[in-house]
Amino acid sequence: MRCLPFIEMQFIGFKEKDMDPGALATYTPTLVRYILVALGLGIVMYLVYRVQIRFGVNGEAATGRALVTPWVIGFAVFSLFPIGASLYLSFTEYNLFKAPEWVGFDNYNELFSVDFATLESREQRSSDALERRYGEIIRVEIGDGGFVIGAKEDAFWRSIKLTLPYAFISVPLGLIASLGVALLLNQKIRGLSFWRVLYYLPAVLPAIATALLWRWIFAPQSGLLNNAFAPVYRLLEIETPRWFTDPNLAMPAFIIISLWGVFGANSVILLAGLKGIPPELYEAADIDGAGNWAKFRNITIPMLSPALFYNLVVSTIGALQVFDVAAFIQTPESVGTFLNWLIYQEAFNFRRMGVASAMGWILLILILGLTMLIFRSSQAWVFYQGTREEATT
Amino acid sequence: MTSQTRSATTDHQVESIQQPRSHVRQFIVYGLLLLGGALVLIPLAWMVSTSLKTDAQLFLPGINLIPNPAMPQNYIDVWAKLSSIAPGMTFWRIMGNTLFITILAMIGEIFSASLVAYGFSRFVWKGRDTLFAVMLATVMLPGIIQRVPNFLIWKELGLLNTYDPLTWPSLFAWGPLYVFLMRQFFLSIPREIEEAAIMDGANVAQIYWYIMLPLIRPILLAIAVLSFQGNWNNFQGPLIYLTTPQFFPLSVAMQFFERSLSIEVPQWQYMMSLATMMALPILVIYFLAQKQFIEGINVGGVKG
Repeated sequence: MRCLPFIEMQFIGFKEKDMDPGALATYTPTLVRYILVALGLGIVMYLVYRVQIRFGVNGEAATGRALVTPWVIGFAVFSLFPIGASLYLSFTEYNLFKAPEWVGFDNYNELFSVDFATLESREQRSSDALERRYGEIIRVEIGDGGFVIGAKEDAFWRSIKLTLPYAFISVPLGLIASLGVALLLNQKIRGLSFWRVLYYLPAVLPAIATALLWRWIFAPQSGLLNNAFAPVYRLLEIETPRWFTDPNLAMPAFIIISLWGVFGANSVILLAGLKGIPPELYEAADIDGAGNWAKFRNITIPMLSPALFYNLVVSTIGALQVFDVAAFIQTPESVGTFLNWLIYQEAFNFRRMGVASAMGWILLILILGLTMLIFRSSQAWVFYQGTREEATT
Repeated sequence: MTSQTRSATTDHQVESIQQPRSHVRQFIVYGLLLLGGALVLIPLAWMVSTSLKTDAQLFLPGINLIPNPAMPQNYIDVWAKLSSIAPGMTFWRIMGNTLFITILAMIGEIFSASLVAYGFSRFVWKGRDTLFAVMLATVMLPGIIQRVPNFLIWKELGLLNTYDPLTWPSLFAWGPLYVFLMRQFFLSIPREIEEAAIMDGANVAQIYWYIMLPLIRPILLAIAVLSFQGNWNNFQGPLIYLTTPQFFPLSVAMQFFERSLSIEVPQWQYMMSLATMMALPILVIYFLAQKQFIEGINVGGVKG
């Protein structure tokens, strides 16, 4: 069970060297190093070119390789090495102060320690039914008893319980909604660019600004939403919903926030896809006497499927990594928080680098698995015009 | 057969009543457009409206979109409050920090992405396509998994709590998406242009600078806009690497305000004025460069 406070420790306990030396003194060293790194990179690129020429590589290939050198170095240092290091760290216990200590699969074992217990009565507390150190993740009450599932790392499981269903619901809903917006914008309307600019607006706003804004809109008292719907609540005689503090309403509220963003990038891409469908296809269908639904089903969707596929992949990867929203909207412990934010907290607030790395790897596997699944399924439903080989890369 | 004849008759009916039907249709389309527009704008209006309210106005019953009296003073007071707990945390300082990080990272991203994309598109070399596929695959790597080891790297280098981790790594083309966008664009340029230049004795640097860069200007602008937005809005990076409040960019300053001054009683008017201040520059750029924004996303959407 977690007993550490939620409030972050990062702002507390400054060291002498963290004192503010003034704006200029903080910008200048970084600027100098920036320029030095840029120059160094240029020299390295030139050397990569020279060495290849020395070994008899032709000029074109040598230039090409020299040009991509920055990315290769960056990939090795800032991606490949960290990925490997994080795999190593996931098998250690590490708190930044002592050297990492190899613990084998302990972190993963802890994460996957799950306990199942039956409840003897409805009144019995989950913590009494479960083994010591296990926290409740799911509690089901049936008749007089029921059962409860607990885990050692209950916060992790609660975050999975929040993140996965959130992705499974918000991604398809978002895709349908953005397709709806794209279809709407594809009608013969005046001022298309005006509407497009308007609808894309939520996507350019800083996610943290909108996260705070939505928390305020969803505020139980005097929030915009509850204020606007107060007459409806009274009419239906329901209690004023407490959104993010209500375990049953937190996820729907998060999904509403995510839907607000779909007016953005997804719709713009789908709209471009719609505009790219040759009108002859529809004309031919008209001659065959196809109805609107048949045209939508047999022309629009197949022609749009590459764009839908792209959106599906990108949205799924994004939905599994909600961070900014989670940082600004606290939920009660029973709801948990999004996995990405939990990993951040474990690593940088609680200094459990090993456990955080193990969670990171589980997140990576989740993302890879789901992406693979979408790629696999794409052969069945994504239709590429002409250049199949090129499109699959 | 029967279904065909049936749809043929309905088509005929449609034609005969087309005039009123298309009016209804237009009505519905514009109605939906307006509804969607309202859904976009109302939250934003609420943000600005809240930022101009007094404490008491926040908790009035009902919906008050136009605060009376309006409190533009909030936009100044919020900085006074921040300065009171972290001396020197002024508007200019925090804006300066944000711009410093954003502009350096943006320059690095544009410059490196264009070079790398150039190498991936205009030259033939063994291993090119494999390497490019690897680069695209990195999109799937969750950022957080790299954060812990990267944090340790910067710690070893003694560069924690500096702007280094947020700025110069951009020179290493850290945004695969931008490379991808640029490569798409490079591929569309006819090869003869380069060949003519080579015949004239131009070297690669000259071709890149005098021929390629002007040709790819539209996508450079699009990427500049997207990159500015991405770095301006960045929160996770500065949150992890910076600890001194005076060093914070706007995003983390906002969280600092929320976690220190607004923790017990949320001071929505101040938080919304910070949010407005953060959103405003992006909105201005967005309205000025909407074509580039839309273009950038569209190029990315063509063929996953």
